[in-house]
Amino acid sequence: MRKEHEDAIRSEVISRVFDRRLAEARRPEGRPLNELINETLYHERERLRQNGGSLDPEVEKAFYGRIRRALPKANSAREKELLRSILERYVDEITGHFSPVVYGVATRALPFALTGMLSGLSPLKMATKLGKLPSIEDRIVVQGEVDLVRKLDSQGTVVFAPTHSSNLDSVIMGYTIYRLGLPPVTYGAGLNLFSNSVIGFFMRNLGAYTVDRRKTDPLYRELLKEYAGITLEFGNNNLFFPGGTRCRSNLIETKLKKGLLGTTVSAYLHNLRNGKSRPRIFVVPCTISYPLVLEASTLINDHFQRAGRSRYIIEDDEFSQLRRWFDFLKGLMGLEQRICVSFGEPMDPFGNRVDERGDSLDPKGRLLDPSRYLMVDGEYELDPVRDAEYTRDLANRVADGFLCNNVIFSTHLLALAMLHLLRARAPEVDLYRFLRTVGPETSVAQREVEEHLGCLLKRLQELAGEGRVRLDEVLATGDVRNVLRDGLRSFGTYHTAAVVRRQGIRLHAGDANLIVYYANRLHGYGLDALATPAHRGS
Amino acid sequence: MSARTRPKVAVLGAGNWGTTIAQMIARNGHPVTLWCRRANQAREINSHHTNKKYLPGIKLSKKIRATHKLREAVAEVPLLLFIVPTKSFRQVCAAAGDVLTPEQFVVHGSKGFEVGTRYRMSEILRQETCVKQLGVLSGPNIAPEIAQGKPAGTVIASPFPRVIEATIEVLSSDRFNLYTGDDVAGVEIAGALKNVVAIASGVAGELELGENARSLLITRGMSEIRRIGATLGANPATFAGVAGLGDLIVTCASPVSRNNRVGRALARGEKLPEIVKALGMVAEGVNTARVAHEMIAERSIDAPIFEAVYRVVHEGESPISALQTLMSLEPKPDVD
Repeated sequence: MRKEHEDAIRSEVISRVFDRRLAEARRPEGRPLNELINETLYHERERLRQNGGSLDPEVEKAFYGRIRRALPKANSAREKELLRSILERYVDEITGHFSPVVYGVATRALPFALTGMLSGLSPLKMATKLGKLPSIEDRIVVQGEVDLVRKLDSQGTVVFAPTHSSNLDSVIMGYTIYRLGLPPVTYGAGLNLFSNSVIGFFMRNLGAYTVDRRKTDPLYRELLKEYAGITLEFGNNNLFFPGGTRCRSNLIETKLKKGLLGTTVSAYLHNLRNGKSRPRIFVVPCTISYPLVLEASTLINDHFQRAGRSRYIIEDDEFSQLRRWFDFLKGLMGLEQRICVSFGEPMDPFGNRVDERGDSLDPKGRLLDPSRYLMVDGEYELDPVRDAEYTRDLANRVADGFLCNNVIFSTHLLALAMLHLLRARAPEVDLYRFLRTVGPETSVAQREVEEHLGCLLKRLQELAGEGRVRLDEVLATGDVRNVLRDGLRSFGTYHTAAVVRRQGIRLHAGDANLIVYYANRLHGYGLDALATPAHRGS
Repeated sequence: MSARTRPKVAVLGAGNWGTTIAQMIARNGHPVTLWCRRANQAREINSHHTNKKYLPGIKLSKKIRATHKLREAVAEVPLLLFIVPTKSFRQVCAAAGDVLTPEQFVVHGSKGFEVGTRYRMSEILRQETCVKQLGVLSGPNIAPEIAQGKPAGTVIASPFPRVIEATIEVLSSDRFNLYTGDDVAGVEIAGALKNVVAIASGVAGELELGENARSLLITRGMSEIRRIGATLGANPATFAGVAGLGDLIVTCASPVSRNNRVGRALARGEKLPEIVKALGMVAEGVNTARVAHEMIAERSIDAPIFEAVYRVVHEGESPISALQTLMSLEPKPDVD
């Protein structure tokens, strides 16, 4: 983002939210400004009391103290000043101080930094040995609609919408986008991510703005959404994680948040109204696939412990522990594992496919004019209810894109085969009881696993042939023994206890939670229908 | 045609319900285009203001202008009502898709699923056209009664308030009430499935099983519809409304209803192909019975009435034998 853009975006965000709130307060049954400010004071006091997310609590307390004292005596003009000062404070916190110079340095340094962490070298030693070190660059495989996305970048503004399983996602996306020669993306990153100093540095300089998830004030949320939308209007490509927070269960996300995705419709409408030369906005679903996930243990445990009420923010996970990073990267590099970023079919804000000129196509491939979705009696008109419906369509299409572009690794397939075979022993037992009954002694004959792997793999290859899923190269060969070997090797590297391990001619379940976690990645392809004994021929 | 005189609304499909809808719109003072598949039908409507095959004895309004050219009927008309049989629904959508643009509203009034794919009509519209602002019209609407000016009402369901408003503007009158909702899937499922129960009701009527049996059929049939609908993602409350129970009651009670007539003929021992031929119109329940049977089997839904109708219609079981099976069911809770 260019510096002059940053200032213009800042003032546009403030004035849009300010004007909207003022207009609301002026309506007969609208909400008065003092009530709005009081709400902010309430939410912020609660947050500060728990001392959550505050970088400088004393300064914040002083700021809100001043507002609290001024509010009772404030006339209407003063109330406006107070509201504006709150908005300014919020926006300053959100805005990343992006520097193009540092961006260049950061993106170039990133693979080396990760490599360096892997090898445990000091930056000085690293500099002398760079050429000889394995590079993370070779470990990130980018596939799918890459060429189309490149072309679209010159036709309008691109929103990358990836799946979210790890805090590494934004770094990997930021780096992938850089490597494709695309301009940097703007994206929101949780305040907690900046606590990892190495990653925090890259986050900030890869284009991140700050999202403080502990702030419950609706005004703050409104401002965040507005910020994303306006950066789009200014032509900054964005990165949204439509699933919201990291997926705890490792299922491919199906319920996507409509808030951020919905900003594509409103930004497009503003662009049309303002007669922008490149008003179009494109949404690209991306699936990031890992054979092993850095934070897998913490995420799945959180999922099970608090099923349905998981912690929104986890601070004490593997991401914040450098040692775990080291192990993870060592596994990644040492085993020549790959992380896949697959770009799905790009679409317009209404979920229609687009061609390389950026033109929207209807389901039958006929050209259509997307601006006409926003027309009412010949004018472009904002209609929150209508637009939310459009966004629902878009979200469904993005979720479909996630599923088709999911890359299956041997770890996923091995976990699913183990899960099917273990659960078939007591199908009436619910998942939670099942988890409790699985211990290190629980095992399955290797031959049985191989047979079932073969059956699952056959089906997956059919699905891949129909373009409904992607397979990692080990699976693509169709060699079951190879898949088993690769899966066992990966499961034996990073996690504290091997997720599945071989002992003689039997395979033992080392960690039932993680078996479920990795197997979940294959949910949504109808493979559970193959879990019955009849299908397995036993 | 100049912009000034171009109708704001068009009805696609000039069967008895499509023609009746066009007539209601015209009576409300709106010029309306009525698309007919055949040119001679369009000529009859334009020159004689009648549609003898589908609405005998009814004089049509002069504000109805019929055409057999789809492009002409669809282009640039803000609100389109698709009232075509489910069998030809996809074909009409595909053709209309060449002309439709994203700002147009489409409301359909076709009750049934697509045979083979089991798609609902709104799903087909989305697959074949660029239109997203969709709605569905469904309720207890025996067309000839409404064409004669008798009072009635129906549901317009759409997640788009403007689609609802536009439909109300052209259709609502002192003889026709509109009720609103946003559960498109629920209304479509209710409208489709009730036709199967109507066949059962026709059988019961012909066999003179009495009013108690009919009431039992309607209420237990409703339970089955709700159960099937819920598994397909509909809001169960929709089935208690005008498009659910309302439509089911009229379809089961009225001897005029096509599906009811199919049931009566089956009970008299007539064969399905002859019945369909004699009807001269589409009885959606015949196909829906098959689609519902597949859904029930796949999802293991408890729906004995639907299963009985399927066996009678498509497997040649005698109505008496199906009735005996139904009456020998084990006692079970009345309410799920």
